Amino acid sequence: MPDSSEEEDYMSMDFLAGEANTTQPETSLQRRERLKREAAIRGRPKSKAELAAEEKAAREEALSRSLIDDARSLAAQKSKGLSMMKKMGFAPGGTLGARDNAYAKAEPVGLSIKEDRGGIGLDAQRKRALDEAAEREGVPKKPKVLDEGEFRERNRRERELKRWEGQAYGAQKVCERMDEERDAQAHTQSVATGEESEGDGSADEQKQKQKKKRTLSTRPLKSINVLWRGLVRQREEAERERRMRYDLEQSLSRLPTYEDENEDEDDRRALGKTKTAYVPVEDLEEEDPELDEFNALEPDEKLRRLVNYLRDEYQYCFWCKCSYPDEEMDGCPGLTEEDHD
Amino acid sequence: MATGDADRKRSSDASDSLATAKRVKKEDGGDDKPAAYNPYLAHLEAEKNGGYANSTIPKGSPLEKFTRRETTAKQAFKAEDSDNNPFTGEPHSQQYFKILDGRRNLPVHKQRQEFLDMYHSTQILVFVGETGSGKTTQIPQYVVYDELPQLNKKLIACTQPRRVAAMSVAQRVADEMDVELGQEVGYSIRFEDKTSPRTMLKYMTDGMLLREAMHDHMMSRYSCIILDEAHERTLATDILMALLKQLAQRRPDLKIIVMSATLDAQKFQKYFYDAPLLAVPGRTHPVEIYYTPEAENDYVEAALRTVLQIHATEPEGDILLFLTGEEEIEDTCRKLSLEVDEMIREADSGPMVVYPLYGTLPPHQQQKIFQPAPPPLKKGGRPGRKCIVSTNIAETSLTIDGIVYVVDPGFSKQKIYNPRIRVESLLVSAISKASAQQRAGRAGRTKPGKCFRLYTEEAFKKELIEQTYPEILRSNLANTVLELKKLGVEDLVHFDLMDPPAPETMMRALEELNYLACLDDEGELTPLGSLASEFPLDPTLAVMLISSPEFYCSNEMLSITSLLSVPNVFVRPANKRREADQMKDLFKHPEGDHLTMLNVYHAFKGIQNSGEDPKQWCHKHYLSHRHLSSADSVRAQLKRIMETQGLELMSTDFNDKNYYTNIRRALVAGFFMQVAKKESSGKIYRTMKDNNQAVMIHPSSVLQTDYEWVLYNEFVLTTKQYVRTVTGIRPEWLLEIAPVYYDLDSWDGQKDVKQALKSVQDKMRRRAAMKGGR
Repeated sequence: MPDSSEEEDYMSMDFLAGEANTTQPETSLQRRERLKREAAIRGRPKSKAELAAEEKAAREEALSRSLIDDARSLAAQKSKGLSMMKKMGFAPGGTLGARDNAYAKAEPVGLSIKEDRGGIGLDAQRKRALDEAAEREGVPKKPKVLDEGEFRERNRRERELKRWEGQAYGAQKVCERMDEERDAQAHTQSVATGEESEGDGSADEQKQKQKKKRTLSTRPLKSINVLWRGLVRQREEAERERRMRYDLEQSLSRLPTYEDENEDEDDRRALGKTKTAYVPVEDLEEEDPELDEFNALEPDEKLRRLVNYLRDEYQYCFWCKCSYPDEEMDGCPGLTEEDHD
Repeated sequence: MATGDADRKRSSDASDSLATAKRVKKEDGGDDKPAAYNPYLAHLEAEKNGGYANSTIPKGSPLEKFTRRETTAKQAFKAEDSDNNPFTGEPHSQQYFKILDGRRNLPVHKQRQEFLDMYHSTQILVFVGETGSGKTTQIPQYVVYDELPQLNKKLIACTQPRRVAAMSVAQRVADEMDVELGQEVGYSIRFEDKTSPRTMLKYMTDGMLLREAMHDHMMSRYSCIILDEAHERTLATDILMALLKQLAQRRPDLKIIVMSATLDAQKFQKYFYDAPLLAVPGRTHPVEIYYTPEAENDYVEAALRTVLQIHATEPEGDILLFLTGEEEIEDTCRKLSLEVDEMIREADSGPMVVYPLYGTLPPHQQQKIFQPAPPPLKKGGRPGRKCIVSTNIAETSLTIDGIVYVVDPGFSKQKIYNPRIRVESLLVSAISKASAQQRAGRAGRTKPGKCFRLYTEEAFKKELIEQTYPEILRSNLANTVLELKKLGVEDLVHFDLMDPPAPETMMRALEELNYLACLDDEGELTPLGSLASEFPLDPTLAVMLISSPEFYCSNEMLSITSLLSVPNVFVRPANKRREADQMKDLFKHPEGDHLTMLNVYHAFKGIQNSGEDPKQWCHKHYLSHRHLSSADSVRAQLKRIMETQGLELMSTDFNDKNYYTNIRRALVAGFFMQVAKKESSGKIYRTMKDNNQAVMIHPSSVLQTDYEWVLYNEFVLTTKQYVRTVTGIRPEWLLEIAPVYYDLDSWDGQKDVKQALKSVQDKMRRRAAMKGGR
């Protein structure tokens, strides 16, 4: 906010910042942009292939729905044709003609549209060839009929797992941050007791240092809580990778550890070898059964543990996204996401 | 009430008297007019006038000692051998005896006595004879010699699935019996009746017999009905079989013979109360069948290759290739001719002439296929041959001698109807095993032959269905249901068909007829329905025609209906598409194809009256003279029915600004269920209500002005969905003319259509209110 003593600066762009911070989901400009985009999508003439596919889908849909047995539509109940037939003694589910005529059709003759000039048996032959090839390659045969319900269920499950995975990642980050903050607090407290002369500014500095430290962690991995150790490990592995690549690129075509006897001191300096201090992160090479065990857990279980840890240690509810002052955590509806709906 | 009274007096069945409809326009003083002529009841007139010269056999006639239904083959031979014609009394011609010799060489001849014995012993007989056995020409004659129609004045009918067959077989049999066609032997087809009061044996299309039965439920004018080619299972034959099965019990004196060319005879036997069966071997030679080792990627390409290979390597003999449609056939013929020319130049092969054959080909071109194969190019050179590229009409109906090689890709175009999307369309589909056998059999007519199937043996066994689906399973039944109602069938659900279709098909048909006001909510025939059944047309067209006087344009609707009942009048040769389109533009009407067709018809009539050669004119303008002429004769026939039924013929003055509007409105009266509305984007239209399909206007349409609402004659299903023969309309008309179908309160179709119609309705109300206020 501009100082009240000063003249109001009408050129100030501060209002923009204010507006951006409000909870309004989009600005009018964004809205216009979005509407334009949406209209463009709607207005775009569909391609022939898209149209053909749509037509086909609509047709197949219509073809697969019986006019009589379709309980969903009111059309069958309202149909005058059906009621006339009922008057003549037709029962839905029955057939026409003499009573025991085995030739009577219950369903209309199907309809298939031939789209190419392939001979009879071509489709079957192609399919067979494909199956045989798959068998040779050792690809297990796909289950022939996949229930639609089954398919949907599988899709839903996959989506859910992905979501939990994401949330678990989020929770890990929260854990790490909270843990660091607690360490930092403990540290500043100890520093404050030792060197009272230092002010608030140094604490800030400290914090920044702490932040930097995150990327260059020197803490042994094993000392980190297994709950988010994976996160740290992943980050360090990425960092090591990055550094190694950097070193490799800097090394001018040679492995940095390569010792050439013909090189003198100048050569080494020129090749940038003097700086090279290749320290393998031993931690990363080590086996970590505890972490493996944790990683093997289902995402929902991981998430549950993380959420519980946050509650127990920091009185923080992952779902409410806030810390509570006391152990009771008064006001938090419960442990699970559903409770927070 | 001229018609109604006449019907009541004559008809034995009271339900016929419903023929007078509410919507019939009556002329003043119509009552004292003489009873109108009804072609379907002509025989009753004939009976009254004593159509036959004698009701006893004259003394000295070769038939003198014959006792009806107790004759023997021996007696018949003697009568046939006599100098005078037993039916006309005239001396036999030389030609007669020549033909007689040929007849006695036919396979059926040997079994004449066996046939008669069986015929005497049973009411219903199933007769199986392969093509070439002579059953179609001989059996009806055997029956004539046994039934002696001149005694009891009852005819013998023999039905054929196709008009052409009915005509040509009747001609042949007239020659064989040494009588004039149209006298003792005649034929009756949809738009032509060539019979006389003397007629004893009548060849007719199955549809024609069905129409006659609508007015004469007992088929009382016939003593014997022969259903030929029953294996083809046309819609009309199936209905006739069910009717005759019922009728057999009410009319013990009626004899019924069901003739089939193939296999499935047991099914017929079982259906007709275990009727006895008589089988006559055909005169066929063995046919070797070859399959391909692998499935083909392109059956047309493979067919082409196979034909050329046969020509190059196989000994003398003609080739028959089955393909699916006109375009495919013409295209293949062109390619084959080119390839053969090259073979002659480069490989010194024999000549080969290629003939196309399909239903819409003009008759004189169809006749060409009977020309003999060309001679060798030079003396002692390789023999020539002919190759016929045909649709499946060569499968059963046409017999071409000299075919030794058959190439069968295994496809044909078949009509398909599905009630769920309400689409009746011709689709290329795999044939059945029975069809494949029939095709192969075509190679063994003159000598042992070969059949090349362009699919594997495994595919034949696994992918082909046993029998082609009978037409009744592949058709919209609206017309059939209307006919059945008119035939007095009350219980449609339990009507004993050989292959009852899916219940949904019947449900749709009943609904459609209900919307057209041909059936009331109880399922009873309305006066309009009864009137509509008088027309040999689809209910949609019939209702449109009957309502046309309300729109003051019945003359024009008569023309349009006729044009819609014949094949496309526009000709568009593959190599002259642009010229053809330019010519079509001359007749173009911006409001749609129906009006464009009407323009063509008017121009055609103008030329006819001007004395210019109409054939020449049609050729110049890329129009089909044949189809226009047949539309003309259809129109004459329909006009007669209109007049008989007391429907007024009228036109709006051509200079009236409503001339075309009236016609378009009259179209809506029939086609209101075939309407599509444009979607907000692109060229896509969407069909109405539960038939919710995205369609495009067929590229052949003249409709360019962007109409939001169109009505269409036909839904074409290919890889794309089109509507063909389209006219632009106004939504107000839908609400006005078809208020039941477009009742918005019970609307269960698309929401946006309802919205659109709603706002139209509001607008109409406002306008009406304003008018009322003034």
